[in-house]
Amino acid sequence: MAADAFGEDILATLKGQGDGLRGLLAALPIALGYLPIAFSFGVAATRAGLSEAEAVMLSVVIYAGAAQFLALALVTSGASLVVSAITLIAMNLRHVLYGPALLKAAGARDMRTVWGWGFGLTDEVFGAALGHIARGGAFSERFMWGLGAGAYASWVVGTGLGAMAGGAALEGWPVLDAALGFMLPALFLALLLSILSRVQVPVIVVAVVVTVGVSLMASATMGILAGMVAGAVAGVLQR
Amino acid sequence: MRLELFLMALAVGVATYAFRVLPTRMARRDLPEGGMLARFLASTGPAAIATLFTASVLPLVQQAGLPVPLVVGTLAVVAVFVWRRSVVLATLAGAGVYGGIFGLLGA
Repeated sequence: MAADAFGEDILATLKGQGDGLRGLLAALPIALGYLPIAFSFGVAATRAGLSEAEAVMLSVVIYAGAAQFLALALVTSGASLVVSAITLIAMNLRHVLYGPALLKAAGARDMRTVWGWGFGLTDEVFGAALGHIARGGAFSERFMWGLGAGAYASWVVGTGLGAMAGGAALEGWPVLDAALGFMLPALFLALLLSILSRVQVPVIVVAVVVTVGVSLMASATMGILAGMVAGAVAGVLQR
Repeated sequence: MRLELFLMALAVGVATYAFRVLPTRMARRDLPEGGMLARFLASTGPAAIATLFTASVLPLVQQAGLPVPLVVGTLAVVAVFVWRRSVVLATLAGAGVYGGIFGLLGA
């Protein structure tokens, strides 16, 4: 019996490690998207006057792509650091919704290490995890650790490479610059397609319309927040 | 490294961490199936990703109307995803086609 139990423990451990590896492999699409985007951020940061260490520090500490690009715009426009911090915090408020939505989709309960993998719950990691669950994949904390670690490493490494390349790195490569600029929209669209179902079409339509309207009338940050909330409310009302 | 820049990043980083982790810990208790909060959360994912796609495309549209590279790049993402069911291939194909058309048109 003891040997059986020991064997089961080993199997469970191996299975768990397999989940971590599966998470790391699932991070590959994100890493391939993150590397060039983070590279662009590193280039933009040094172009904006930040040192290499400061560019990498923003990626290590904030780890939220859209907010980091906005941080560059705010800092270079002369906005006070307090105003910049409040604006960036408001922009990242949308992350409040991700964890509960993910656990709901996974039907998961026992989250002992969410304090760790929760740090890496970015837009893309959230989308990839949701897509993994929608395709029938198993959800586990080890999977989330692997997924988050791969994405985080690629983001930090990409930023470092971009910062070392310097602000003028893409000036002679307009086609590459354009392709990198479309990487983020392409990644979001692919993630959206991976979780798309008929019942979510009204949610998506409402989110898109509200995002466009509020972005044009107020600001991009307000548009993002309003679009997400409006889409989610539409999901509540339609059923 | 400028201390004030680091402190701003730290404030944003700590707040973002709290946004990502605290609601997840609090959501461990079961939500009533079919309840309003459960339906709200189920719709949040598609709404969030649709919003982020729109927000990332909007500046490109505002700069140049509906540019050909954007249209063709978007179609490439959809086509490759339908063909291969792969997020990475669709993303890389979309960015590659976007850059290629951009270069061909001399935009």
